Order: sequence, then structure tokens, then C-alpha cells
Amino acid sequence: MHRLKPWAALAVFLSCLGALAASFQPPAPPTRWATDTAGFLSESTRRTLDARLQKYEQDTGRQVIVWVGETTGGVPLEEWAARTFEAWGIGKKGRDDGVAVFVFAGERKIRLEVGYGIEPVVPDAIASRIIQQEAIPRFQAGDPDAAVIATVDALLRTLGGETSPPPPVAAVRERPAPELTPAQMIFYGLIALVMLIFLITHPRLAFYLLLQILSSGGGRRGSGGSGGGSFRGGGGRSGGGGASGSW
Amino acid sequence: MGKWVGVALIALVVVLGVAGVGSYNSLVGLDQAVRAQWGQVENVYQRRLDLVPNLVATVKGAANFEQETLTQVTEARAKASQVTTTASKDILEDPAAFQQFQQAQQNLTGALSRLLVTVERYPELKATQNFATLQAQLEGTENRITVERMRFNEAAQAFNTRRSRFPTVLFAGFFGGRFAEKPYFQAQQGAETAPKVQF
Repeated sequence: MHRLKPWAALAVFLSCLGALAASFQPPAPPTRWATDTAGFLSESTRRTLDARLQKYEQDTGRQVIVWVGETTGGVPLEEWAARTFEAWGIGKKGRDDGVAVFVFAGERKIRLEVGYGIEPVVPDAIASRIIQQEAIPRFQAGDPDAAVIATVDALLRTLGGETSPPPPVAAVRERPAPELTPAQMIFYGLIALVMLIFLITHPRLAFYLLLQILSSGGGRRGSGGSGGGSFRGGGGRSGGGGASGSW
Repeated sequence: MGKWVGVALIALVVVLGVAGVGSYNSLVGLDQAVRAQWGQVENVYQRRLDLVPNLVATVKGAANFEQETLTQVTEARAKASQVTTTASKDILEDPAAFQQFQQAQQNLTGALSRLLVTVERYPELKATQNFATLQAQLEGTENRITVERMRFNEAAQAFNTRRSRFPTVLFAGFFGGRFAEKPYFQAQQGAETAPKVQF
């Protein structure tokens, strides 16, 4: 027992270090704009919010998400929020223009986590006011649906641009549809020509290849991009801006 | 025989040189990351320094507010401000200066949290919109400090881990203070928790 080999001790030590480094695991990134893992909101509210926030991202390029969980698992709320925000990458990378509404049903807590780039638009005082005036009273009245809707209402009103044309910030971000350069045209033309020859010489093989190309292209389009059907973080970060509250 | 020893020596020098260049480049990258993160840390501390005079002015307006608490905050701020502005570029290579910086900021944290506790006894002050705004800003700033300190520690850890790894540790010493181990922010006596603002 005493003669624990030094390398065994070292291995134990190293694995402890590893465990320490990996002590916080943020939940899996959401695939929707509004996610309720705790069954706290009604399904119709969640769907409405989801559609609204998806539309908001399409219109303005800003990612605003709502995520409802049970607990933070003992991690301080603010640390949980900042780390999770970064792990999910809410908002565009470099622009950091995302906002997340985190609600913990079991702990009766709410946090607005604001990306670095949105801090001037939603300063802490405003975030705090939204939580204190819109969310908390409705949570206390036992109406979580109304609380979250009112929070999102106030948030989008502050951010602006929900139905009006997107602000200039978003306009810069939007990429125009890619136009083919002459080189690309020649490239695609050659491929088409080869395909055509192939189609004549080996029709079966050609059809198979065509199917492969089409299905892989379609798959890629379905899983990504803001125009697609599911949420994906853009690599944005937050620096602990926002506000918290409990009811 | 002697020819082979010469070839082996040259090969060794080449291998060490390649390893050295790789080590140097990776250390430079990690060092820059730590410095960038240090800039963020300084930013959020500066943000708090900017906030304190407003807070003090607002609280001062309240009828016969405890003078002593205010004086402590003002003094702690002055000291923290001095440490922040005089912090040299190589504070990261100077553990004593780093410690001093951290100590001054922690004193300010303590003074501010005492101020907020005292404010609890002045309900009419707490109820004003002006104070509520400042309170939210202070709370957010404390939270930002926590986050940026956490990220600084992570960047410093990445640097230090790389620096003390086997081939790199042989080269890091050549550059003197350039690649000294980075200091960490330490949590001290409950001061790492932001002054909890009660609503």
C-alpha cells in the first residue's frame, strides 16, 4: 500500500488536473432559438418565441436565444452564463452581437447575457430594468410564459429592427449571393462537359455520381446557415455583461 | 569514426534548432494571448474605477450618509487607480507588482461591498432610479471582472503549461524575462465573489 509507484501517483495527479480543467461542461448547444429543457414553458409559447427569434435573426443578423433549464448544477449563475455563451458562440464571431435569455426553473433564476458587441445597446442598467420590471413580477405571479414573452418583447424593442429594415450593422454583415467569376464558370463548364461525356459513355455511373453530388450539397444546405431551419452559433462571445434576477 | 560523430552532432544541432523555432513561435502566440487578455482585465477594472465617483456622488446626496464608509471607498479607489495607471507593461513579468495590483483592486472590492451593505440602511436612497442604475452597472462590472480574470487565468495557464513542457522548457530560459511564468489571479478570503447586490 505504501509502495505506490511514483508513475501511478503521477497518473492520478494528472487525471485530477484533467478533471479540474474539465470541471464545467456546458450543455449541448441548442438547435432552436427557443429551447425548454425543463418543461417550464407551454409548447405554443416556445414555438412562437422560436419562430419570432428565428425571423429576427434572418432580418437583422443578430442571434437572440431563449434557453430554459432546471439548474446550473452548482455553478454560479454568472459563470455558467458566460462560459455557456462562449461555448455556444451566440452572435457573429468578431461582432459578438448575440443575446441569451437563460432561465432556471428549479433555481427560480433568470439571466440576460449580452455579447460584447451589444453592450452599448443593452447596458447593464437596461438589462436589469428588463428583468426587474418585465420578468420578475410575472414569474412571481406564476406566469412563466408571460414573463419570458415580456422579456423578449422588451429585449427586441431595445435592440430594435424587429420588423423594420435591418440596421446598417446587419447590412454590412450580409453576404451578397456569390457571383461566378469567369474562372469558376470555366471550371463548372468543364465539369459539365466531363459529366456529359461520362453520361454518354457510362450512363449508370454518371447518374450515381450526380445523385451523390446533389444529396451532399442538399445536406450541407439543410444543416447550416442563417437561412436554414436550425439554430447554429456564430462564434460570438460575452464578457459577463447583462443582468441577473431571481423570483 | 570521427566523421560519424560530426554528422551526429550536426543532426542534433539541426533537430534542436527546429524544435527551438517551433517552441519559440508557440510561446510567442500564447504570450500574446495572455497580454491581450490582460488588456481586457485592465479595461474592466478601469470601468469600475470610472463608476465609483458617480456612485460616491449619488450616495453622498443621501441625508447624513455615513462618512467613514464613503471615505474608505474613495481612498481605496485612489489607491487602485494609482496602481492601475502606474502598472508598467511588464507587470506580468513582475509577481510583486502583480500582487500589489491585485491587492489594491481587492481592497476596492471590499470597500464597495461594505458601502452596498451600508446602503441597505437607507431605503429612500435605494429606491431612487439613479441609485438602481448605478447598482446594476456596478453589479455588471463586478461580473465582468470575474469573467475576464477567469479568462486571464486560463490564458496564463495555457502559456505556463506550454512553457514548462519538455523541449520548450530548455529554450524558455534563454530569453530571460521575456518568457517568465505568468502569474495568476488568486481568489482571496471571499473577495472573489462580487459584492452581492440584494434586491
